[in-house]
Amino acid sequence: MTQARRNSISGYLFIAPQFVGFLVFVLGPIVAVFVFSLQSRSLLTGESTFIGLQNFRRMFFEDGLFLVTMRNTLVFAGGLVPANMALALGLALALSRGRRGVGFFRTVYFAPVVTSAVAWAIVWRFLLEADRGLVNQYLSVFSITGPNWLREPGWAMLSVIVNRVLKNLGMNMVIFLAAVINVPGEYYEAATLEGANAVQRFRHVTFPHIMPTTMMVLVITLVGSFKVFDTIMLMTQGGPGHATTVLVYYIYFQGFRVFRTGYASALSVVLFVVVFALTLAQWSARKRLSHYET
Amino acid sequence: MVGRVLWIVGVLACVVAVGLFGAGAQEVEDPDAPVDLRFTVWTGADSHLQLLNSIAEDYSQENPNVSVEFATIPFADYVTNVTVQLAGADKPDAGWLVETNAPEFIQAGVARDVRSEAERYDMDDWFEPALELWRDGDRLYGLPFSTSPFLILYNVDLFEEAGVPTPRELSARGEWTWERFAEVSQAIREETGVYGFQTMDGQGFDIRVWHTLIPIMRSYGTDVWDEDNNVTLNTPEAVQAVQLFHDMVFQDESVVPPGDRSDFYVGDAAMTVGQISRVPQLEEADFEWSMAVMPEGPAGRGDVIGQAGVVAYSAGEHGDIAADFVGFMTNKENVARLAEFFPPARKSVLESEEFLAANPDIPAELMREVVADSIQVGRVLTPHVNFSEIDLESRGAFDELWRRDADVQAALDRVAEVIEPLLRQ
Repeated sequence: MTQARRNSISGYLFIAPQFVGFLVFVLGPIVAVFVFSLQSRSLLTGESTFIGLQNFRRMFFEDGLFLVTMRNTLVFAGGLVPANMALALGLALALSRGRRGVGFFRTVYFAPVVTSAVAWAIVWRFLLEADRGLVNQYLSVFSITGPNWLREPGWAMLSVIVNRVLKNLGMNMVIFLAAVINVPGEYYEAATLEGANAVQRFRHVTFPHIMPTTMMVLVITLVGSFKVFDTIMLMTQGGPGHATTVLVYYIYFQGFRVFRTGYASALSVVLFVVVFALTLAQWSARKRLSHYET
Repeated sequence: MVGRVLWIVGVLACVVAVGLFGAGAQEVEDPDAPVDLRFTVWTGADSHLQLLNSIAEDYSQENPNVSVEFATIPFADYVTNVTVQLAGADKPDAGWLVETNAPEFIQAGVARDVRSEAERYDMDDWFEPALELWRDGDRLYGLPFSTSPFLILYNVDLFEEAGVPTPRELSARGEWTWERFAEVSQAIREETGVYGFQTMDGQGFDIRVWHTLIPIMRSYGTDVWDEDNNVTLNTPEAVQAVQLFHDMVFQDESVVPPGDRSDFYVGDAAMTVGQISRVPQLEEADFEWSMAVMPEGPAGRGDVIGQAGVVAYSAGEHGDIAADFVGFMTNKENVARLAEFFPPARKSVLESEEFLAANPDIPAELMREVVADSIQVGRVLTPHVNFSEIDLESRGAFDELWRRDADVQAALDRVAEVIEPLLRQ
């Protein structure tokens, strides 16, 4: 046996324990979900029968709620992703220079990220109460009667989006901050000597340099927004009506509240396909748009 | 070398296989082997758990190899969590089951037949209608441990402050109607600034929406659906009943509104719907409280009983022992002990003087007037074999009802539309 072959065998042996775990706890369940999606299964009775693609037919042609859910998921992502990225980038730019007090503000914006998501959502639920909530009490100082935030359809969606943006903003801010700080200073110097103003410096120096980071943040944030669950579960339970029922909450609802495990698995397959497609699309876009990737 | 590699891979595979499947291997059952029963409940109240544990200890005295552990799951997540646990590896053995989900669980085969175990403890003593829900032909899938009428708990201090007669005074005069209920609620709101009424556990607009609607609808002569599974929650009587409550919430603003956490038990509301199991929550209340029967409507009193049973899960590992414990837990002696918080469905206990004195915080006359008498005439919450789905699918439509500008008839029509196909399934 050659040395190279021997090396590769011992390499495989080293990764074996982790890989076995991956097979059993990650790949196995994923495959199982695909199998379940072709079955009618009940969590309550434990019965299962093979029904082919009927779950998918039902989803696209019979289940009106599925379409509502998809629309809500898109609205959520469409609201969250641009807001999160714009704010994170703006904060990163503002806090990248060594002014006094940047450390303090960086900490403030990052603090929600390390806060327990559950505690965060529950506290916000209190703040957004109709009469006694702090938000509405604050508004009433200016003679504004705030809505019952989590109980009225449009406001509920806005509330969960804003809530989620505030919670995760800090993480993207830190990633952007690292990218912005790493842009070599001599480029700015050169640009300034050429007479570029602040907007031009951002447009022609900063932005191209942080393009790979931007694409990565976009992928993470978008995929994360498709997978939102905890905020919805804790703040609105998908309500009022189905105004904030997003895809993952609907999967939970079908699988664990009304016990249709087969149908929930089929929904999970759709989520998997959507997230997978998004990731692939952005991967290829990233190659085309990033000039500085190493 | 290759041989050695294969050998190592083989060993690794064996280790994984044993780890994965070894746990599932069945051992031959030794009658004296120690058994730990896990029993699911939705109460977390210390006083309840102490009582349950003392029953479990007595059982362990008789059966030294058995110990029972009570696992608390919050009411809102109870059915989901029990179902998931039963589908998983660490299955509970027995537990409480709420009446609304009983038909569904029984039909799905989740609960096991406990007739032979129950027959050891004087079956004729049970109040016959109370067993109806748990029976299917000759089989008995559970035994009620709590047959608990809904009642009005109220804050006497707030009534005094507002200068309005208390529910019990009104009831004694024969004036305790839903209209009067709405009036006193509004008067309290105006005089004291405190809400007049809070729905049951503050959950009456979502997970306990049925608990809000059924009592008032029944006293207006209807119900949410009838015995033949026809929707009746949008009939004229039902709409009239719900309109009254809707006006209380959104016009009078005398009811703790949806999403608000003002709580009766700490003095933020003057009345609430409760059961005697809620009395321990008043232990530290800094106000004087009392209780009364539910108000009357045009069709008289619509007494509602919240029933809960104990069942042995058929998926559990120690089925026979769990069933035996279910029988033991609902024998005469233990039902009498449970009666402190959970009104009994055994005639001998219900008719005893001890029951009237079972809870030291509740005077005997109240226990008779508000609890014992209501058990005789009340009916359990309206059950259905498809309840989980009806409950969850209708919640979206109910959210439309709980809006200030809602058209009650239209909103209830919408709910009816959603639940009708589910009732017929």
